[in-house]
Amino acid sequence: MQEFKTFEITPEEIVPLAEKKRKAGVMLVMIHGYVQTDGQPRISWDYECEKGVESYYVVGQKTLPSIVEIYDTAAEWPEREINELMGIEFEGLDVSKRLFLPEDMLETQGKGQILVTPLSELVEKRHELEEKK
Amino acid sequence: MSYVVPIGPYHPALEEPVHAKLYTEGELIKDAEVFVGYNHRGIEKLSTERNAIQTIVLVERVCGICSHSHAMNYALAVEGLNKTEVPKRGQYIRVITCELERLHSHFLWLGIACHLIGHDSMFMRIWDVREVIMDMLEALSGNRVNYAMCIPGGARRDISDEMRRDFLQKLTAALPALDRIVEIATTDKTIAMRTKGVGVMTTEEALRMGAVGPHARASGVKIDVRKDAPYSSYEDFDFDIPVVDSCDVYARVVVRALECYESAKILIQALENLPEGPINLGNKIPKLAEGEFVHRLEAPRGQLTYKVAGNGSQLNQRVSIHVPTFRNAPTIPVMLRGNTVADGGLIVASIDPCFSCLDD
Repeated sequence: MQEFKTFEITPEEIVPLAEKKRKAGVMLVMIHGYVQTDGQPRISWDYECEKGVESYYVVGQKTLPSIVEIYDTAAEWPEREINELMGIEFEGLDVSKRLFLPEDMLETQGKGQILVTPLSELVEKRHELEEKK
Repeated sequence: MSYVVPIGPYHPALEEPVHAKLYTEGELIKDAEVFVGYNHRGIEKLSTERNAIQTIVLVERVCGICSHSHAMNYALAVEGLNKTEVPKRGQYIRVITCELERLHSHFLWLGIACHLIGHDSMFMRIWDVREVIMDMLEALSGNRVNYAMCIPGGARRDISDEMRRDFLQKLTAALPALDRIVEIATTDKTIAMRTKGVGVMTTEEALRMGAVGPHARASGVKIDVRKDAPYSSYEDFDFDIPVVDSCDVYARVVVRALECYESAKILIQALENLPEGPINLGNKIPKLAEGEFVHRLEAPRGQLTYKVAGNGSQLNQRVSIHVPTFRNAPTIPVMLRGNTVADGGLIVASIDPCFSCLDD
């Protein structure tokens, strides 16, 4: 079985940690985000380690530093995805174009609300939009 | 003369919806942009209102080619979260399904690549062998896609001794045909002329952009989750990771052709040494422990990542899916630059993209 370890960090530690990992040739497995049961957003930077993944996470932050300068597109697409789905801002990240969601969904349902809004409400909003059309 | 050539999202030559803008100078591509999201189905969101058994059915539909990889990786993440150990026979059956899936995926890609190159006799020869693998998958699971071979805690169906012997016989019989495919793929002049020096992504670019799977291995990056962080008893098998460093489309053809050998090696070992015992831990719907788990799996196209967060109930708090194309698609503009528009389709296809997977 693969190993999975978690470490809580501060937003100030995100960039130095990414620089350290990149210098050591460590792969950024993914940047993940979800909303905890208490409603707080939890964003994690998951790096490969021997036999598994080391996950460094921050909780409750709406704005975070970007590591695109360090990990290029390996960080850019995950950051754009989290911005779209959860509304988390990454400083300096270009979000002028959408990645996954339709443009009309962003306008009518609020950018970054997909993971926060219950599925039933999303369906209702979609029906409202179609009726208006 | 400069032109912007739009391709897709819906185009007769595209199997899946993706939109690309090629910025050209005469016949040469100067730059390119890739736009995805045309097949976003909200699978991650839907999974938050489903239990683990329902989610297995759902995530298996993320992709028609690597459906077992999705189901297995979700199951592995749930097992990691709940700290449960799958019986050895169940692990081997999962590996057998995984490697059959890799073989049919690689054969599918090699066939399509040859078709794009204009080598249709090779396309038919490859798909002829692929049919043997598809028959094995059908015999094993009853389906040619979406095999439903995985449940949390093990495998859903057993392999009988008769089926095991039949599979070994079919694989052994298919090996000479595989030899011929590899020989043609690595020596044929038509394939070499269309692929050598085309769509180059250097080793440094692959590392910087986080490319994964055969795409990265064709750029000299020796990564493979089956070796780097073994799961499901992969440490029991003797196999190599083919790496080629010419970094072009030719390298991607060669890497995938050679990987077919390695998959066949793993399959023969797994079938010959299939352990006795139970195949799973039972059919109960598991509660997902509070916390989270990230599991990586080497799908046919590269590293597949699943993050599962639980809250103590049977429903997922979050399922986050990141497929190999999510990592490899951003490298497309780098490969396209400096090549001709005519080679554009082949270069995009060389990452073995699955945009439906990516959009999930």
